[in-house]
Amino acid sequence: MLLKYFGAALIIASTYFYGNSISSFYRNRVGQLEELLLGLEMFHTEINYGLTPLPLAFMNIGAKLREPVGAIFLGAAREMQKSRGLSARRCWQNAWEDSSGALAFSAREMKLLERLGLAWGKGDKNDQLRQTALIQELLRQALREAREELQKNDKMWKYLGLLGGTTLVIFLL
Amino acid sequence: MVKVNISIKEQICPFLAPRIRAIIEKLSPELLNKTEEIRLRHSRPLIIGWAEGGESFLGERGPTLTAKGAYRVLSEDLEKTLELISNYSLYAFEEELKQGFLTLPGGHRVGLAGRAVLEKGRVKVLRDISSLNFRVARQIKGAGEKVLGFLFDRDNSRVYHTLIVSPPQAGKTTLLRDLARLISEGDGILGQAGKKVGIVDERSEIAGCFRGIPQLDIGTRTDVLDACPKAEGIMLMLRSLSPQVIVTDELGRVEDVQAIAEAVSAGISLITSAHGSTLEEILRRPVLGELLEKNIFERLIFLSSKRGPGTLEMIVEGEKGLPLYSARYGGGGQKDAP
Repeated sequence: MLLKYFGAALIIASTYFYGNSISSFYRNRVGQLEELLLGLEMFHTEINYGLTPLPLAFMNIGAKLREPVGAIFLGAAREMQKSRGLSARRCWQNAWEDSSGALAFSAREMKLLERLGLAWGKGDKNDQLRQTALIQELLRQALREAREELQKNDKMWKYLGLLGGTTLVIFLL
Repeated sequence: MVKVNISIKEQICPFLAPRIRAIIEKLSPELLNKTEEIRLRHSRPLIIGWAEGGESFLGERGPTLTAKGAYRVLSEDLEKTLELISNYSLYAFEEELKQGFLTLPGGHRVGLAGRAVLEKGRVKVLRDISSLNFRVARQIKGAGEKVLGFLFDRDNSRVYHTLIVSPPQAGKTTLLRDLARLISEGDGILGQAGKKVGIVDERSEIAGCFRGIPQLDIGTRTDVLDACPKAEGIMLMLRSLSPQVIVTDELGRVEDVQAIAEAVSAGISLITSAHGSTLEEILRRPVLGELLEKNIFERLIFLSSKRGPGTLEMIVEGEKGLPLYSARYGGGGQKDAP
């Protein structure tokens, strides 16, 4: 009997954690989008007030952001400093591909991340700010949607995990 | 004269797109040593210019005689090169883009051509860059030794106001730079202590500054105002740095005359340069003509490329127009160097 109760608790706990892990994907996605937007705001400040060279600006931004978004900026800066003749787009892509396992972005958001690579270091100050401002706007929209999805799915997946486990236990018993 | 060796592989190649970098790196050390220019033009053959004059097309196997075998520069090559020379930060080089050139570490310059964007009738920025010209900065130490004796007034321990005249690429800037270095160092050459020299380097060519720091040897007592308009720079120098000699290049604007008059009346010696070949030619130019008529310049040096860049043709005493040195008479003039 004791073994049965132990098994039931194990099933409920594992389905609860499964549901929780899915809901944490939505939480991470929101957090990472917020970090990326914060990074772009910092970039605007670096360019507007300091005309900081891109590799140095990325180092400054990366050091202030949380993982894994901070690691993308730091990785891109390191790629640029290696003097291998890679374009800014390639350096950025190498960096986000290295961190892609830890990213919780949707396919559309990954496209925006890729598109940012095309914007780095292009044109004069105004051009540069315009290009990143456009992606910033699209990211804000993605963040709004991500927050809505979080609200919808966070509790649902947690409850679904718990209830799914309980239902399974009732059937088995 | 000592030609200061530079390593193109270390100083220029890191700024070239990988395909072009690979082509340049394959060149023999002898060819690299005499490289003066590397020209990248959109959809056109890669060209390398030699220090002694002339140029060659460059293919994947090295210099070629015809354009057919040369590497055609792609827009991707230009884009990547532009990213590398600007450290991925074109936005930080707006002023340089307006001027049409960027300076690299080592003092090497990259000239740019593309579509000019105007604002209030003046160039705001260059866009859609279609040509890049890497110009290797080679310092020739001692280039000024031959003329220095003619420029020094030993009785009053001062340097004469001097104008160097030559066609483009005939060694004006090299001579200006070396004169600044020699006058600044002083000992052993002038036989007395060096003088405080101020260089107003509007086009970053004399001192080859990278982020404000001179990359070429311009002497221990030399201050540089980099990328500063000449007239404004001369006034700034006068007010704050108390130079004994001011060195600047390519006079041409009306406001330059006033600044020079201020400097001359303050007892500061001036060494400058102008494009031209003959005295008559420069007398016709508005600003220079005015300065020459006022007899401001006490020495005029004429250079040419007849026997390679920096060929000394003539040194003339400004006011009387007497030749002090003439290559036509085997290096002698009315009198020899003091």
